[in-house]
Amino acid sequence: MTTLTSPLPADVPAARVDARRPAGRARRHWRGAGERPSPVATAVLLLGALYCLLPVVWVVVASTKSGAELFASFTFAPSTHLADNVADLSAYRDGLFWRWMVNTALYAGVGAILSTLVSAMAGYGLAKYTFAGKNAVFNVLLAGVLVPAVVLAIPQYLLLAELDLTNTYWSVLLPSIISPYGIYLARIYAAAAVPDEVVEAARTDGASETRTFFQVAVPMLVPGLVTVFLFQFVAIWNNFMLPYIMLGDDKLFPITVGLSGLLNQGASQPAMYTLVITGALLSILPLVALFFVLQRFWQVDLAAGAVKS
Amino acid sequence: MRLTTGTRIAALAAATALLASACSGGGDDAGSDDGGSAAGPVELTFWTWTPNMEKVVDLWNSEHPDITVTVNKQDGGDPAITKLLTAIKAGSGAPDIMQAEYQKIPQLVSSDALADLAGSLGDDVAGQFTDGVWDAVTLGSDAVYAVPQDSGPMQFYYRADIFEKLGIDVPTTWDEYADAARKVHEADPKAYLGTFSANDAGWFSGITQQAGASWYGIDGDAWSVDIDSEATTKVAEYWGGLVEEGVIDNKPMYTPEWNAGLNDGTQVGWLSAIWAPGVLAGNAADTAGKWEMAPMPQWDADAPATGAWGGSATAVTSQSEHPEQAAEFITWLNTDPEAVQALVDETGIYPADVPASTEALTDPPEFFSNQPDFYEVAAQTAQTVQPFTYGPNINVAYSAYNDEFAKATKAKTADAFVDAVDAMQQITLDDLKNQGFNVSE
Amino acid sequence: MTTTTAAPPGGRAARAAAPSARATGPSTSGRRRLAPWGFLAPAIVLFVLFLALPIGYALYLSFRTEKVSGLGLGSGSRTEVWAGLSNYAAALGDPEFLASVGRVALYGVIVVPTMLGLALLFALLLDSRRARARTFSRTSIFLPYAVPAVISSLLWGFLYLPGVSPFYDLFERFGWDVPSLFDGDLVMFAVANIAVWGGTGFNMIVIYTALKSVPSELYEAAELDGASQVAVALRIKIPIVTPSIIMTAVFSMIATLQVFAEPTTLRPLSNAISTTWTPLMKVYRDAFTRGDLYSAAATSVIIALATFVLSFGFLRLVQSRAFASEK
Repeated sequence: MTTLTSPLPADVPAARVDARRPAGRARRHWRGAGERPSPVATAVLLLGALYCLLPVVWVVVASTKSGAELFASFTFAPSTHLADNVADLSAYRDGLFWRWMVNTALYAGVGAILSTLVSAMAGYGLAKYTFAGKNAVFNVLLAGVLVPAVVLAIPQYLLLAELDLTNTYWSVLLPSIISPYGIYLARIYAAAAVPDEVVEAARTDGASETRTFFQVAVPMLVPGLVTVFLFQFVAIWNNFMLPYIMLGDDKLFPITVGLSGLLNQGASQPAMYTLVITGALLSILPLVALFFVLQRFWQVDLAAGAVKS
Repeated sequence: MRLTTGTRIAALAAATALLASACSGGGDDAGSDDGGSAAGPVELTFWTWTPNMEKVVDLWNSEHPDITVTVNKQDGGDPAITKLLTAIKAGSGAPDIMQAEYQKIPQLVSSDALADLAGSLGDDVAGQFTDGVWDAVTLGSDAVYAVPQDSGPMQFYYRADIFEKLGIDVPTTWDEYADAARKVHEADPKAYLGTFSANDAGWFSGITQQAGASWYGIDGDAWSVDIDSEATTKVAEYWGGLVEEGVIDNKPMYTPEWNAGLNDGTQVGWLSAIWAPGVLAGNAADTAGKWEMAPMPQWDADAPATGAWGGSATAVTSQSEHPEQAAEFITWLNTDPEAVQALVDETGIYPADVPASTEALTDPPEFFSNQPDFYEVAAQTAQTVQPFTYGPNINVAYSAYNDEFAKATKAKTADAFVDAVDAMQQITLDDLKNQGFNVSE
Repeated sequence: MTTTTAAPPGGRAARAAAPSARATGPSTSGRRRLAPWGFLAPAIVLFVLFLALPIGYALYLSFRTEKVSGLGLGSGSRTEVWAGLSNYAAALGDPEFLASVGRVALYGVIVVPTMLGLALLFALLLDSRRARARTFSRTSIFLPYAVPAVISSLLWGFLYLPGVSPFYDLFERFGWDVPSLFDGDLVMFAVANIAVWGGTGFNMIVIYTALKSVPSELYEAAELDGASQVAVALRIKIPIVTPSIIMTAVFSMIATLQVFAEPTTLRPLSNAISTTWTPLMKVYRDAFTRGDLYSAAATSVIIALATFVLSFGFLRLVQSRAFASEK
């Protein structure tokens, strides 16, 4: 749909960007000298994979061990207590763990959807319009990246306390919607994937700005927006400081805060270590599954269009 | 059919409404502003990290339908206090009832986080507790800021089987402890009689308390800081010497590695408190029957003394709208014989209430069934807990402990340990003055 | 794609602010002028509420302090007063803070090049198509991104502790005396490794994405001419993906300055990590352990400014290069 097929001048190293292109499909298959399998290259990649998998393998193995085995046999030899551990974890305070999982899915799912929408609108507004103060707005929004979550936690808490929203789902959800990174990415995608001509054509047809965005731009942006969604989903899923400060009621905890609490209790009740390890395994499974399903959308182009001149 | 913008917005609105109902379903139980009217029971929230506390609270709830208590489990003493103080600053969000370690009470009072219960408690409550514990909840004033829950007199826990194998007698003085530490380490270079942990300030204050230290004092209307007293310095020098010599481990307690050490017999002893059996049972279940408990080694064998590590009280926060009912609950929790029995059975704590705990604590903990006189020895040691005053910036003193002793354990010299104590004194004193407290020097 | 039929009632209602939606002339251009602000409105409102206001409040707090009177017991013994720049002076004069800055600088020097170097290497290998098991490797290397820092630190913590680590078990069997990563200065590498582990995959994907948008004609010829893969990578591919590498460097730098979760999670396991090991840990300690929001706010402002200054050049670069294409 984007018509960026004109040959590039050879001296301009151009990043040809098409945010909608699913990974690994578009480039023409070309067979030649480069195709010969190289054992060294394979070995290096596999070493990298091994390094990244090792702790994950360890958590899988450790979650099969009973509490006594955990501290007695620290090897990669699995045991047989996975089902017991999952049952113990499920039994912990009437299935609180699963409530944490549901909460996390709610925070990350709803938060990421809203965040994607807000980011897409803002990114589109920044990419497709020229207006006074545009760069200022963008810079200010982007500057939000500079301020660490720890710094914001207390002021945000005090603010939400004014609104009587602390210790509610809202207190975690609302601040998660605004994402400088998301806006940044959305602007890049909108600039690259939505040609000005298409927007113009829609306007000429008499479509309103809102309609043009939702019905013309959004469909073209979908693959990029999925990336923004995943990005935000992971960010909220991994967020610790905000829910940690905001929530007092452990029925509202997301998984990170809940597990960290179990870990702290593990100091005095070491049986908790087994629960924490099993919980850690279970908690990363949904994200891993999400990654596999949406793998082809993972294409984070931080500098797309950078050299398109 | 493509969704129109309107439909999308409608769908979004519906989703939002759904979320709103989900939120109102679970988000409001920390507020203390509901309930209490004639229309329904008073609802109280209770922040605690004591395991299984909810089972004890269930007892209360089944007998008191007019005052319902909900437990919100906390990670532990420090995080809970952090959250409480944030909520106090914000003016809302605090629970009605709060578990607080004794050392945190001055800080909480100074932050105006706790309600004064002097008018709400019965006259007989004070008499249930030892003077030392009661002082910790009144700060020596006429106000009462909490009702004591449990106490943590310190004892020495050791692997009786390994002691026997190596021919070591139970050390009764610190000199004997040092000798025992050398023997243990000599017999197995990987084994240690104990560890000096730079992460456990409460443990260190406990062993200095035994030596006669009291890190703070109140002179009239001014605080004094006395961390670098002779007693604390003596303790630091002693442990620094053992670490320098290499016969005592210097890794933190409560790590998976330390747990493994308890299991495999490379941690042969533990200077701990009365709640140790629960930790040992959870950590090293297979070593049941191999441990024994004795009074702490002494500085002066003729004047037995010990310190306290841990122990906490139950307080009513200044944000509670039902302080009367909350006071009624915490009195029941900590002094009613049935409740204290449940605390012992369900949570494994050592209740602070003297008469009720004497009733409740008869048989030794299961893990120490090889030591029938466990609670007799415990009661004797509890009598010898030395007086100790905590100050309003004990949090600063504790984090200074972490940082300064982290450096000292890296240096591994007795001198560095003494320097760490001096640095703690300076940091704590400076902070107190800086905050504007009246400080006498 | 778009139709010219009348907007459905719902759509019109949703645009109540612009009643004559299909009008032409001045009103349309007025709408065009307002439209970007309409699109930006939700982001701006949320930004103001949850970022700008809290930041402003933190800024305000950084000039305030709390004074206690007397013993500080009983209500009303604390009052908030103006502190001028004294919180800033205290932070900048605090040797612990300066030491933490130095530590983070060293940490950044270890983490950013290692992580980006590995990410670039893996991305090039994935792109070269000469390696086998590429999908498996790509997924595996990306996997750590799915693991929250709190959990990954916990996992690595178990793997580091000599008493419980399977590695130390192996080392011992081979008779090697490997020092504990939790002793002394080595703890820096323990923390850095977790960051590299967690971040390499994500950055690899960023660079890989950029590599895939390189038209293959650009280097097919070179390859046919007999240029080695390494030469192609060095002379053609890396220069093309440099903008992406710069951006990953910027974001990695920001993340480095904000390192907090990993050392905080590891702290209970090691005597060697102090409560002020990184600048943000100091902020956390001041705000949460000491209840001194004011010093924490001042330190945060300093960190934010430093981050800004450090990444300002890069942001300018992005500004001038990345969006040059939009008229």
